[in-house]
Amino acid sequence: MTDRPALHIDSATLCVVTDLGRVAGPARGLAVNGALDQFAARAANALVGNAPTDPLIETTGSGITLRPSDDVLLSVTGAPAEPAVDGRAYPAWAPLSVRAGETVRVGVSDAGLRAYVAVHGSFDVPRLMGSCAPDSMIGFGTRVEAGSALALRRPHPPLVNGRFGATVFDFGLPRDVGRVSSALDVIDGPDAAEFGPGLQRLYDSPYTVTPRINHVGMRVAGPVPRRSVTGEVLSRGVPVGAIEAPTGDELLVLMRGRGITAGYPVLAVVTSRALDHAAQLRPGQTVRFRRTTATAATAAHLERRHLLDRVALRARTAFAALARPHPSRPSRT
Amino acid sequence: MTDRRAATTTAVSPCGDAAVRVAVEGEDTDQVWTVVHRLAGWLNHGGIHPTVTAVPTYDAVLVEFDPYYTTGEEIASHLRAWGATAGTQGAAGGRVVDVPVLFGGEAGPDLEWVAEVTGHPVPKVVDLVCAGEPLIRCLGGPAASAMLDGPDFGLPIPRLATPRLRVPPGAVSVAGRQTVVGPVAAPSGWRQIGRTPLEILRTDTETVVPYRPGDRMRFLPVDESTYAELLGTPMRYRHDD
Repeated sequence: MTDRPALHIDSATLCVVTDLGRVAGPARGLAVNGALDQFAARAANALVGNAPTDPLIETTGSGITLRPSDDVLLSVTGAPAEPAVDGRAYPAWAPLSVRAGETVRVGVSDAGLRAYVAVHGSFDVPRLMGSCAPDSMIGFGTRVEAGSALALRRPHPPLVNGRFGATVFDFGLPRDVGRVSSALDVIDGPDAAEFGPGLQRLYDSPYTVTPRINHVGMRVAGPVPRRSVTGEVLSRGVPVGAIEAPTGDELLVLMRGRGITAGYPVLAVVTSRALDHAAQLRPGQTVRFRRTTATAATAAHLERRHLLDRVALRARTAFAALARPHPSRPSRT
Repeated sequence: MTDRRAATTTAVSPCGDAAVRVAVEGEDTDQVWTVVHRLAGWLNHGGIHPTVTAVPTYDAVLVEFDPYYTTGEEIASHLRAWGATAGTQGAAGGRVVDVPVLFGGEAGPDLEWVAEVTGHPVPKVVDLVCAGEPLIRCLGGPAASAMLDGPDFGLPIPRLATPRLRVPPGAVSVAGRQTVVGPVAAPSGWRQIGRTPLEILRTDTETVVPYRPGDRMRFLPVDESTYAELLGTPMRYRHDD
């Protein structure tokens, strides 16, 4: 098996192989998990011609250094610093051709928390219920650590523009695609009425992201709306993005690794679009919650997904055209 | 909307842009639970769209979806149609899992406290837990915990004021009028009265845990040596070989 193409990991901190999540999980009692910034993960795969659900790397906070055994095509999205190949910087949010043995350094910029690395063809990793997404609760998942290697399904011949000496593609992603908003759109939750007029505090107050943030939940400190009714709540399914006020002076925003049921009332729910932003927030940042409607949130979600559809189509078309035999394939020097 | 046969009503409330909560109301809590699980079964088998998933509990179903494919409003209108044409098939499950439990001591640090609060001697508390075959009402967080009815202590059991940071895998705990069996180590505010030596969670199986809502559990008291003997044995249905 030593001949199989592999991605060697030279350094990695808080890196996992993940995908869009274990969609079959919640019905069986497991959290959905998967990439916290779903848009960035989808974009990374789209940019290299992969399926949306293909496994990719998620790095939180620090970044990763990789060395492919074969020529590969990869992409870096999320909140990355510019990826560097053998010390030379290339744009993120674009396909990047890397030669066998070259070293790719992917950092995470201060403007966010999580970066994604997708490789054309993706990785062979174990799956559970059809998904490779790590579940820390049940001890499932593929960690990416220094000295390990990920088996690549296939290499990819270099795609290098002869004139520029680099991979140059424009698949139509706007320049500010990775910009993170600290205003999070939310929709009043199913239990909003239990908080009476006090719910308005959620929308009027700034909150500070605490250091207690992970894939299960994000705690933010600030004025906490109090329930105007008392009594225990029967355990119910709680959605990803639910904002709860369990105790003390912190709100809890449930992320994709949350337990699927809880007995706390749900004040409000962060929209799909805003959850991608929430995934990029760092401790100490100030956030605000902004009230919106399901209709407006769906429109925002569709706009982003249609953008991804266009990127995926352009990428597939471009790679298909380039994959045709070419008499004099230019090489990078 | 009213399902005449079931004498229950359902109400759909938005839960963000990618989920709705369907609350089922009715006089008979068993009937409500049956409707909740029947509805979730229909949704999870692609009743509306393959990307729609449902988490059934006691009196509500959380329905999650990708707003790229459908919306809460569309789901609400599908559910109105479902209410009118609901099938008669009951919830899944119906099998029994035998669960040996070591009660008290380190395995059940709250057993004596529960005895005090309920006014029953410890052996009576154990008898009550081991009486009958309680129904698994739903799978809860974390990690497909089995949420069961009862036992009937005569009063609800208050939770811990400060949850424990870690209860071990296999913990058998009570709170309110419910029992929970947890497959993994996790924080918990429930009162831990015992622990099963069986291995509940297996990530090499497609369903991860061997039970589902509608199944029943039978708790069987064991001593420390039997506990040690059974440690790590996979949990399975009573008549599985």
